[in-house]
Amino acid sequence: MSDNSNFDAIIIGGGHNGLVCANILARKNKRVLICEARKECGGMVNNEITNYVPPVTTTVSSSLGGMQVNYLPKTTIALSETGQHIRLVGNQHIDHKSISTFSSQDADRFNDFHEKMSKFSKTLGSFMMASPPRIMNNSFSDYFKLFKLGLNVRLLGKKNFNEFARMIGLNIADELEDNFENTLLQGLIAHDSVIGSNLGPRSPGSLINLLYRMAIHNNSLFGGIFQIEGGNDQFTKHLIEKCKSNNVEIKTSASVKNCIVEDDCAVGVELINGEKVYAKKIISNVDPRSTYFSLLGSQNLDTDVKRKIKHHRSKGRVAKLILDLNKLPSFNNCDDIDLDSRMVVAPSIDYIEETFNPSKFDKLSLEPTLEICVKKDSDQNPKLDIQVQYAPYKTDQGWENVKENYIESIIKIISKYAPNINECIEHKKLITPDDIELEYNVSGGHWHHGEIQIDQLFMMRPIPGASQYKTHLDGLFMCGAGTHPGGGLTGISGKNAAKAVLDDF
Amino acid sequence: MTQDLRYSALKKTPFHSKTSMASRTNKYYNWNGYTVPTEYSTTELEYTAARNGTSVMDLTPMGKYEITGDHAHRFVDYLVTRDLSEMKDNTVAYIIWCNEDGKVIDDGTIFKFSSTKFMLCCAVKIYNWLNDSAYGFDVSISDVTDTIAALAIQGPTSCSTLKKFGAEDLEKLKPFEMREYKIDGFDILISRTGFTGDLGYELWTDPKNAEATWDNIEIAGKELKLRPFGMHALEMTRIEAGFIQTNTDFMAAEDSLRPTRMRSPYEIGMGWLVHLNKNSYFVGKKALKKEKEESTTERCLVGLDIDGDKPAHGSVIYNSKKEDIGIVTAALWSPIMKKNIALASLKRPYGIKIKENIFAEIYHPEELEYRKIWARCKVVKRQFFNPERRNKVPADLYE
Repeated sequence: MSDNSNFDAIIIGGGHNGLVCANILARKNKRVLICEARKECGGMVNNEITNYVPPVTTTVSSSLGGMQVNYLPKTTIALSETGQHIRLVGNQHIDHKSISTFSSQDADRFNDFHEKMSKFSKTLGSFMMASPPRIMNNSFSDYFKLFKLGLNVRLLGKKNFNEFARMIGLNIADELEDNFENTLLQGLIAHDSVIGSNLGPRSPGSLINLLYRMAIHNNSLFGGIFQIEGGNDQFTKHLIEKCKSNNVEIKTSASVKNCIVEDDCAVGVELINGEKVYAKKIISNVDPRSTYFSLLGSQNLDTDVKRKIKHHRSKGRVAKLILDLNKLPSFNNCDDIDLDSRMVVAPSIDYIEETFNPSKFDKLSLEPTLEICVKKDSDQNPKLDIQVQYAPYKTDQGWENVKENYIESIIKIISKYAPNINECIEHKKLITPDDIELEYNVSGGHWHHGEIQIDQLFMMRPIPGASQYKTHLDGLFMCGAGTHPGGGLTGISGKNAAKAVLDDF
Repeated sequence: MTQDLRYSALKKTPFHSKTSMASRTNKYYNWNGYTVPTEYSTTELEYTAARNGTSVMDLTPMGKYEITGDHAHRFVDYLVTRDLSEMKDNTVAYIIWCNEDGKVIDDGTIFKFSSTKFMLCCAVKIYNWLNDSAYGFDVSISDVTDTIAALAIQGPTSCSTLKKFGAEDLEKLKPFEMREYKIDGFDILISRTGFTGDLGYELWTDPKNAEATWDNIEIAGKELKLRPFGMHALEMTRIEAGFIQTNTDFMAAEDSLRPTRMRSPYEIGMGWLVHLNKNSYFVGKKALKKEKEESTTERCLVGLDIDGDKPAHGSVIYNSKKEDIGIVTAALWSPIMKKNIALASLKRPYGIKIKENIFAEIYHPEELEYRKIWARCKVVKRQFFNPERRNKVPADLYE
């Protein structure tokens, strides 16, 4: 290792996980530098990409010395063309009442379903929040962790154990159709199961996606969904302030070209402008594919590692449509409180599945699934921030040729619920997955830097052999959403990575 | 040569019309999807030709891969454990390559034409491995197994045979060098390489030229004790030379189901091919470095000189306390050495620090009954047979 290490650690990428990791290291008296390629830190946690956030867990916030941001809970509305919307807040009694206006049977079943799912998400959750064990490592603590998961699952009792085993590879559609008769309710839960993923409601494994989502949202289906007072970027702004007070150095517009490797160990980074900075530990908050192929370089990787990274699935299928408005459109049968809610357009399971189908063939669905969020810009003008599910990463005709058409089809869908939408629109902007890839330097433009599916979870996240925040190169760590437990703005990856780095000093 | 593939499960090599005519036994085996002779007449006769005259073997089924492109040299150096950064044009190097756990996948030879063109030869097919390894390098890999016909011309009179065949000044070619010839209008590449541990060459040419080449070599070697030889005779010579055979002396890492059966280069006597101080990374370096630093090497591959004259095929090796310490991977009674020799994979420290009081339990078949022989073994250099003529420059010539 070279002696001119100016820093203890360099973090590549100033997204929220990088900021969390930097602060924790700095609080342990490490000299930390963050290199951010963009003009400002924060990554995808901003007012453009992020609509809703889960709460920060107490373990993350306490290791940061507390988080002074205000979380505002949000209601979810499943929009119905007939105006018979379903409103859910994550409270057992209120939600029961809300659903029972459509079907008393569904309302009862919803409570049972929720209780069961909540139990399973807790079981998985305890495993999710800690650093995953590494198989074939022969370490006692790793075996103990696996044993504990096994025990937790077994302690569910025989009946629940069988149910858990049944559900783990199941598709969400079958489970919902077995439980509920109301198609709108089915559509809403199915939407939250597949959101941000490459799965349709009828794809095997879509159920575990929902458990994952619940685990980071207070083990609740529709509770634990928040916005941050003053805008979601307050979250990262607060982390950046903390960086300042913890003496973390931040370099912006500092794109890292590659890691500097000496004696098969990462010892620093070389920036695009040729500047070299050295540190004892290098931590990549960049997605796994770029970390391995760009930072580490394929000439420094074993063949088997290349194979694993090439298998890593990280193509995003969520686009963002931002409509700047001169006034708020009137949504059918919605009041002001509703407009402050998370509005979901996913009328049925089949609707979502049909949206999903063309995306498998890199084609567009002209009836996409939407999550609509009303926001205000800096001049207090309203805007609609719409998350569009199943926009393929690349389209067969090329995004530039179909973008306009796609935007119009999305607006047409919204007009079914807000007939005067067209009069209100001042400006439209569509951000496609490949735009996200370019703008935020995320391979595939995937929210979570990689699919949250059974083959890419736990000790297989991002790839086997690199699951404990270490990469295959000594001295180079990963702290981004591509690592366990994944994205979702929890900061857990950043926190666990910091621990792994500290253990290695 | 066109074949109706519907009726032919195994492919025929471009030499097939000649090799099948030379065969008195019709004994063939499947090598990489080709049918090639195991034995032409008797293995003993063929072996004798290899050690006293010239032996000719059809090598075409060997996996042959052309590696071209701007990064070809860098890629080859990355692929293998040996430091090839200083490799010169028109030379050949013996190499092994490993997986990420530092376990050996296969051994082979690499031919360097220029820094942008190489050819890799090995016993099995490894196209996928090469292609996956090449990700991130500006190289293209093509399987040229079918498009290059190859012969091994081995034995003390091999140089003379090839000179008569038309390879001028061949005696000046040093071991592991190669030279391109134009003979009868065809390009022929001759390398001083081989698998018999003797003076010998390998010849590479266009399949269209195969039959004529075979005939002309046969004519050239008529007075030089030339004979075609098959796989069985080759097996005898390679054991005498101490050369290892994948999936015989060790399990290829990509083929073995049990992780404990995979072997690192240090465990099969190939540590000399691992250059951990190479400037750049190579596949398996991290694991091999760790193995070296932590001295976790578990086994070794050694030569055994065994008492008696009964070959110790598949014998279990014991220490004086009758504890199992390893197994024989290849064995024979060596006619030229007049010795009972074997290659054996032993658990360290046996074979490295402890070389005495090692025994082989030989089951010698005698007309449906086994005679059990408890034979004392001496650990010796694996290279049992290494005549001076093998590396002599200029090579010996005979009339």
